[in-house]
Amino acid sequence: MGLSPFRREGSSSQPSATNSSEPTGRRSSLKNRTVLFGLMAALFLFAVGCSKNGMSTWEAFGPVAQKQLDLFNVLLWTMVIVFFLIEGVLVYAMIRYRKRPGQARPPQIHGNTSLEIVLTIIPTILVLALGIWSVFTLFELEEPPEGSPEPLQVNVTGHQWWFEFEYPDAGNGKHIITANEMRIPVDRPIVLNLESDDVIHSFWVPKLAGKLDMVPTHVNTMWFQADSDKIDEDLPVSLFGQCAELCGLAHALMRFRVTVMEQDQFDSWAADYGAPPTVTDKAKKGQQVFAANCTLCHTIDGPDDPALSASRLTGFLTGGDITPVPAPNLTDLRSRQTLAAGIVDLSETTLREWLHDPNDIKPGNLMSDRAVLYQNGTASLSDEEIDALIGYLLDLR
Amino acid sequence: MASITSVIPRPTSYAGIWGWITTVDHKRIGVLYGLTAFVFLLIAGLEAGVIRMQLASADNDFISAGRFNQMFTMHATTMVFMVIMPLSVSFFNIVIPLAIGARDVAFPRLNALSFWIFLFGGILMHMSFIVDQVPDAGWFSYANLTEKPFSVNRGLDFWAISLLVMGTSSVAGALNFIVTILNLRAPGMSMMRMPVFVWMTLITSILLVLAFPVITVGLIELVMDRNFGTHFFIPAEGGDPVLWQHLFWVFGHPEVYILILPPMGIVSEILPTFSRKPLFGYPFIVFSGIVIGIMGWAVWSHHMFTVGLGPVANSVFTITTMLIAVPTGVKIFNWIGTLWRGSIEFTTAMMFALGFVALFIVGGLSGVSHAVSPSDFQQQDTYYIVAHIHYVLFGGSMFGIFAGVYYWFPKITGKMLDETLGKINFWLIFIGMNLTFFPMHFLGLNGMPRRIYTYSAEFGWENLNQLASAGYVVLFIGMLVFMYNMWQTRNSRRVSHDPWDAPGVEWTISSPPPPYNFAEIPQILGRDHYWIVKENAEAAGTRIMEPEALVDPSSIHMPSPSYWPIFTAVGVALIGGGLLSHYAISFVGGVIVIMGVIGWGNEPAAAPSDHH
Repeated sequence: MGLSPFRREGSSSQPSATNSSEPTGRRSSLKNRTVLFGLMAALFLFAVGCSKNGMSTWEAFGPVAQKQLDLFNVLLWTMVIVFFLIEGVLVYAMIRYRKRPGQARPPQIHGNTSLEIVLTIIPTILVLALGIWSVFTLFELEEPPEGSPEPLQVNVTGHQWWFEFEYPDAGNGKHIITANEMRIPVDRPIVLNLESDDVIHSFWVPKLAGKLDMVPTHVNTMWFQADSDKIDEDLPVSLFGQCAELCGLAHALMRFRVTVMEQDQFDSWAADYGAPPTVTDKAKKGQQVFAANCTLCHTIDGPDDPALSASRLTGFLTGGDITPVPAPNLTDLRSRQTLAAGIVDLSETTLREWLHDPNDIKPGNLMSDRAVLYQNGTASLSDEEIDALIGYLLDLR
Repeated sequence: MASITSVIPRPTSYAGIWGWITTVDHKRIGVLYGLTAFVFLLIAGLEAGVIRMQLASADNDFISAGRFNQMFTMHATTMVFMVIMPLSVSFFNIVIPLAIGARDVAFPRLNALSFWIFLFGGILMHMSFIVDQVPDAGWFSYANLTEKPFSVNRGLDFWAISLLVMGTSSVAGALNFIVTILNLRAPGMSMMRMPVFVWMTLITSILLVLAFPVITVGLIELVMDRNFGTHFFIPAEGGDPVLWQHLFWVFGHPEVYILILPPMGIVSEILPTFSRKPLFGYPFIVFSGIVIGIMGWAVWSHHMFTVGLGPVANSVFTITTMLIAVPTGVKIFNWIGTLWRGSIEFTTAMMFALGFVALFIVGGLSGVSHAVSPSDFQQQDTYYIVAHIHYVLFGGSMFGIFAGVYYWFPKITGKMLDETLGKINFWLIFIGMNLTFFPMHFLGLNGMPRRIYTYSAEFGWENLNQLASAGYVVLFIGMLVFMYNMWQTRNSRRVSHDPWDAPGVEWTISSPPPPYNFAEIPQILGRDHYWIVKENAEAAGTRIMEPEALVDPSSIHMPSPSYWPIFTAVGVALIGGGLLSHYAISFVGGVIVIMGVIGWGNEPAAAPSDHH
C-alpha cells in the first residue's frame, strides 16, 4: 500500500527511506510509460478508425461539407477534452477514495451550493457558445455566398430505389432528365430541389454536404459546390452518394454518383444528351426488343413526357401486380459508370446479368417485381434478344 | 350483478401457479415483470446477434434485406417497449412501496392488470413471427413507408396494435405509481426526503402519462389509414408524412428520458451506499431530474434536423437540445461528488453503477454533438447515432438495471448473487459493450448509414464491423454468466436483511419481505433513514442486527388476490388480436372487458375467509 502512487495525502510528502524511494520512482516511471503508451495506442486507433473512403465525412470537397466538418472538429476536440477531464476525475476518485481496511466512516458531506452553481454555469456557457456558433453556421449555409457564380438548378426526385436528376436548364435552355448519376460543373454552386414521389428518402453526398430528406409533397432545397482546389485528382471525379433514410427493401442498394466535371466537359455532355443514336443492324433488333418490352416504364429519347411520368406513378401507387412504374430514364445510359442505382459498374457483363435476372444484383427492385417480362423470375427473352438489347442500350449516346 | 360476482369467491391462496396468476402483491408483480422482460431481452439480444452476423462482412448474404429490416425493427421495438421500460417498471414495483414504507401500491389490482396487458401485448407483437408478417419499418416506423402500397402485409398492424395494447398498460401503471408515491409515503417521508429513485419514478410516471397519449393518437391514425381508408399520413391523398414524425418524436424524446431516468435513480441509490456517504447535492439531482423531464418536451425536432423544417426551427431545437445537457451534466458532477472523499466498496452493483456513469458520459457527449444541427446533417442516420443511443441505452439504462439487479436481488430473494461471477459478468459486459459500440462512432463518421443490410467492401467499413461483431460475442458470454449467476443462487445461503449496510427504508425489513412488508408503518427520520436509525442505535450502545420482527400475516389487512385483472387483460388482448384477424374476436374481447369491469367493480372487498 505504501508504495502505491495513489497513497493518501501526507504520506507522499514525507521523505522516504532510500531503499523504498527507488521502487517508487521505478513504478511511477513505469506508470508514466503505460500512460504514454496508452495515449499513443489511442491516437493510433483514432487514426486507423478515421478513414478517408468514398463515403467518409472526414474529407470535404466543397465549402458546405468543409464548414460542417470544421464545426464537428471543434466539437470533437471539445468532447475529447471534456471526456478526459470528467473520466479522469471519476477514475481518480475511484482509486483515491477506495475503501481501505479498518477505515472509519467517511465525512458525511451533503453538498456544496457554490460548487453546484459554478458547475452549472460553466457548462451552460460552453453549450450556449457552441449553440450560437451552430446557429450562425446554419444560417450561413442556407444559401451560396454572395458573389458566387450563377448557380445550376437540379431537381432531384427520390424513387424506390433510385434517384432521378432533372436539369431544367443545363445551359442554352437544354432540358435533361437522367438517373443515378448527377453531373455537376466544378466551382459553381449547385442548388438542389429535393422531393420524392413515393416514400421518404434522404439525399446524401458526404464529400459535398450533409444530408437532407426527400419528402413527398414537400420540396426541400439545399446547395453545395465542389471546389477544384480541394480535389487532388484530375476531373472528372466521381463522388459517392447514398440514400440515408430507410425507404424499404432495397434501401441499402439505393446509391448514386456525383460526377464533378470542368464546365466545358459538362457543357459538351449536356449538348450531346439526347442526340439520336447510330442504329446499326444489330442495334435495330435491340431497338425492337426495347420498344416491345421496356417503354411502358423507361424513356430513352430525351426527357420523360410529364403525362407519361404521371401515369406511371399512378400505376405504381394504385396498380396491381403488373403495372407501369416510374423507372430510370435511359437516354444517356452508355455514358454512365454504374448500373442499378450505383450498385455495380456498368459493362456488357453486368448489363447482361441485370437483364437476365435483376434480383441477382438488386434484390427487391421493381423491374423484376412489376414488369411482365419478369413474371417468371428471369427475363422471358432469348439470349440473342438480350444481346441485341445490350448492343442497342450501350451504343446509345 | 353483485349476485353473479359473489358466486365467484375471491381467490385466497398465495401458493402455486394460481397464487401467481391472481396475485396483487407488488413484489410478485415486480418479479413477473422482471422475468417477462428478461425473456424479451433474450429475444432482442438474439435479433441483435443476427444483425451483427449479417454485417460482419461486406456483401454478406446471411439473411435477406427483408429479414434484416425485420430484425432491427423488432430489436429496437422490443428493447424499448418490452425490455427497458418493463425492467424499470419491475424495479418500480419491487422497490417503490418498500422504499416509501408502504404495504402495497395504491391500486393493487390495476397493477396486476398492467402486467397482464403488457404480457399479452408482447405476445401479440411476437405472434407476427408465427404468421411471418413481421414489422419491418424501424422502431420509428416513419410514414408513409408504413402505408399501402409500400407495406402490404400485416406487419405494421401487428406493430401498431400491439403498441396500443401495451400503451394502456404503461399509462395504467404510471398512474398507479404517481398516486402511490404521492399518497402512500410513510409518516416523516416528506417529498424532499424521498430517495432519488422514488423521485425519478414519479417524474418518469408523469412523463409516461403525458407522452403515451401522443403516440396513441399517432398509432390509431396509422391503424385507421391502413385498415379503414383514412389518409392522415398519405401524401397522395392530402395527408402529411411529416406529421407522423412530429407525433412520434413528441412522444419519442420524452420516451428517451422514460428509459434513462429510472436507471439514473437506481444509480443514485447505489453510489451513496457503497461510498458510505450521503448523495452529494440531493436537491440538485432531484431538480435536474425535474428540469430534464420538462425540457425533454422541447427538444423533439433534433431527431428531425434533416427533414427540412428550415433554419429557424433547427436553430431553436439546437439551442434547447444544447441546454438539456446542463441538467444532465449536473447529475454527473453530483455522482462524482458523492464518490469524493467517500469509502468506495467495489461490489458488483457499485461497479455497474460506476460503469453507468463512465459510459453515460460518452453517450452524453456524443449527444451534444448531435445537437449541433449543421454537423448533425452529416451524422444523422449513420452509425454514429447507433453508437450514441447504445452508449445511452445500453451503457446507461442497461448498466443501471444490472446495478439494480445486483443491489436489490438479496432483498427480494433473500439470497446473494455471487460476487466473483458478478465481477466476471461486469467486465465481460463492460468490455463487450465498448468493443461493440465504440467502433460504431467511427463507422458513422466514415459514412456508414444506419439500417443498411449490406455494404460494399470499397468503403473500408469491414474491419470495424468485425470488431463490433466480435464485441457482440463477448456481450453474449457476459449475459450467459449473468444467467448462470441467477441460476446458481438456488443453492446459496440466505443473507441478512441488510447485507450492504444500506440507507434505504426497504433494508429495515426481512429478506425476502413478508407479504405485508411492514408490520408497523415506520416513522421516517430522514433522507438516509436506516443509516440514521443504525447510527442512533450505535450511539445508544446497541447494534441493529435483526430486521423488523415478523407477525402473523392474517393479522394485517392486505388486498386479496383477484381473478379479474387477468380476465380483463385477456379481453383487451382479444380486442387487439381481433383487429389483426377477425373483427368478431374484437367484439368478444370487448364483451370480456365489460364483464371484467363489472366483475371487478362488484368483487367483494375481501375473501370470505378473511375476517378483517
